[in-house]
Amino acid sequence: MSTAIVTDSTSDIPTDLREELGIFQIPVDLTLEDKTFLDGFDLSRNDFYTRLPTLKKLPTTAAPSSGRFQLLYEQIFDNGYSNIISIHAASALSGIYNSARLASQEFKRAINVVDSEQLSLGLGFQVIHAAKLAQQKKPLNEILNAIQTVRDRVYVYALLDTFEYIHRSGRVSWAKARLGSLLNIKPIVELKAGQVLNRGLARARSKGIQYLGESIRNLGTLEYLAVLHTNALETGKRFIEEFSPPEISNPMLVNVTTIIGTHVGPNGIGFAAVVK
Amino acid sequence: MSEEQSVSNNRPIDGVQYKELMNAGLTWLRTNQESVNALNVFPVPDGDTGTNMVLTLQAAYDEISNSSGEGVGILAGKLAHGALMGARGNSGVILSQIWRGFSKGIENCETLKGKCLVEGLKEARDTAYKGVVRPVEGTILTVCKDMAIAGEKCLKDTEDPYEIIRIVTDAAKVSVDHTPELLDVLKEAGVVDAGGKGLMHIFEGMVRFMDGEPLDIEPVHVQPLSVIGQQEALSSAEPGQDYEVIVDFQPDQPLVLENYYEDLEKIGTSIQVGEGDGIYRMHIHVPTEKRYEPIDYTMTLGTITKVHIENLMIQVDSPAGGKKEEPLKLAKVGPDDVALIAISPGAGFSRIFASLGAAAIVEGGQTMNPSTQEILAAFEDLPTDKIIILPNNKNIMMAAKSAAEVSVKQVEVIPSVTVPQGLAAMLRLIPGQELADVAEDMNSATKEVESGEITTAVRDVEIDGIDVKEGEIISLHNGKLVGSNKSLKEGCLIFLETAKAEDLELITLFHGENISKEDAEEMAEFIQEKYPDQEIELQYGGQPHYQFIFSIE
Repeated sequence: MSTAIVTDSTSDIPTDLREELGIFQIPVDLTLEDKTFLDGFDLSRNDFYTRLPTLKKLPTTAAPSSGRFQLLYEQIFDNGYSNIISIHAASALSGIYNSARLASQEFKRAINVVDSEQLSLGLGFQVIHAAKLAQQKKPLNEILNAIQTVRDRVYVYALLDTFEYIHRSGRVSWAKARLGSLLNIKPIVELKAGQVLNRGLARARSKGIQYLGESIRNLGTLEYLAVLHTNALETGKRFIEEFSPPEISNPMLVNVTTIIGTHVGPNGIGFAAVVK
Repeated sequence: MSEEQSVSNNRPIDGVQYKELMNAGLTWLRTNQESVNALNVFPVPDGDTGTNMVLTLQAAYDEISNSSGEGVGILAGKLAHGALMGARGNSGVILSQIWRGFSKGIENCETLKGKCLVEGLKEARDTAYKGVVRPVEGTILTVCKDMAIAGEKCLKDTEDPYEIIRIVTDAAKVSVDHTPELLDVLKEAGVVDAGGKGLMHIFEGMVRFMDGEPLDIEPVHVQPLSVIGQQEALSSAEPGQDYEVIVDFQPDQPLVLENYYEDLEKIGTSIQVGEGDGIYRMHIHVPTEKRYEPIDYTMTLGTITKVHIENLMIQVDSPAGGKKEEPLKLAKVGPDDVALIAISPGAGFSRIFASLGAAAIVEGGQTMNPSTQEILAAFEDLPTDKIIILPNNKNIMMAAKSAAEVSVKQVEVIPSVTVPQGLAAMLRLIPGQELADVAEDMNSATKEVESGEITTAVRDVEIDGIDVKEGEIISLHNGKLVGSNKSLKEGCLIFLETAKAEDLELITLFHGENISKEDAEEMAEFIQEKYPDQEIELQYGGQPHYQFIFSIE
């Protein structure tokens, strides 16, 4: 009786941790100027964010086909696993969940496809937690319940360096409404239940970062923390030094998934945290 | 339809013909790929529905392109497998489900007879609906459903599969046009559903193939109505094409776009035609002497509902650098929303407050204090009872407070005594929050910014130990006099030093109506040289009397 944990590349789990926990991951498709890449395989995050400001068309992310999910699920069952938990990016923001769900219907065996209602490590922490329990051979139901409790305790915040990308993307109604703000402003956003919410605006970057830091403090004691950035590694490092709470020994620092990054633009900073 | 047009005599479709039809559908979809991409409910050029559908169908067709001698049931199965593996994007996933259902429905058919085809369409519909977590009407699903219904209905009249393809294609067209009625986002955006349209194109391609019509000619683009105005703003005027003409009309007869474009090209350039809800919008640039021709010509085709003519040359030559003076775009508020009123001392500030979400602007400043009555009127004009006001000047605080007391509405007066404080407060306006919470946030935000005002002294005076001579430049930091100098540059520097700008990040200068753009830019450069580590932003405030207003944070 063993459970395999599957996710997609928007989970942003660092490779070594993923391998250590035996997590299966399927890459999403990225299209930049009519060329398609597999996220993380033939286009690095660094390259993506470097190229982003030069692109005339916003890049698009496409879900892996359900056929690809089927192949992966088959391989997993062939490897002797008895059931699968497949945890994916918020269904409100991406078709990945639906693609996995369709694939799962082709199997008579137990595949639980879970809508994380999150992105990046907001999703990743649900996956990591599940993988830890799977390694301990916990029963399926216990793992599924645990995923739910992590989801209830996860917070994802970010400071965007510019209003441009989220406005251009047109997918977030409050950002679309503030048509062409005249001042340079930096929106602070929260990702919650598959929605991108406005949590205020900053003009000076330092003030916005301070706000994020205070938000972490206000959350209380943390179980997990990851600092997310879009090609702002140095800012990320400083953020950890200044705001990472003592109970977190070594927070992750990740160049965030392009599914967020396309709408954030370069030089964004944020965090995903799970409270205890 | 006349008899001689029809290719078939009630013959079933065999494997070879099935392949040809699918290939025709794919080719025609590819030809129409960009126009499907353009049907984006979001007003941004990143639609990819057409591309995703083409890639999905291409992957599907690749599975059968080399096969020969197989029956349609087997071919359809292979095609469905290819679609499943190659599905891209939401529309591609649904398309793959459609082919999957179709293949299930005709699994046992060697050739495709009428009944078989309809069975396939019904299965396609059922599988497609199951393929979506929360099926939404007004999408490709609805189009698929309407095709299946039309197929089922026509079986009593004909069993000719070719005839049935025609009938379900016509049903698809009607269904696509109807999608905005079912889905508000489409209606608001003035577009039909892209996925549904893509599906229709696939079948339309089959019909074109049956009729011997070309499949690879670039069709004339009709854009969604909403796109036209947008692109017009981006287009620059070409020399000789001095006028922009936009005509909205309802054609009397179905519009033959190719002919319409051809005729318009004889009159002008930058031609765009958009369609939404039966109304067409035509956009064209024409030389002065032809400015009425597009209108006269379009009038021969139908009823004109609206005409817009603009001299583009004046737009280009205007001192504001080509930007038209647009009316203020104020936030629309509903009965339960928190509405924000800003007192603004200049046109530039009014625009900035509006762009940050102000629902009303009352003009007023240092020497032009609005009355309690004026402020009260602004409260009463708003359709909500929850109001926040930013006085942005200490001389207006009192009037704002008494207006708040008199008003029957719930009004929070934020103690912003400078415009920069008001702007800092504005950043905390988060839609959907409670009035008291927003007000509390805004109160604290006013303390997070350093305000500066630079103006000319109108008389001799001594305040706070500073000796001021008439005509000198005086500098105020958070409302307090901090220096009096001979030059504007020194006046600005004194303020920046007092406010400890070197420790902060962003210096924003708002220049007044009495400072030209060039002089303001020169001042911004001068300050950047003195403060190389700070970010400098220059904005037009438009305030009278004050050469500059500073905001540092």
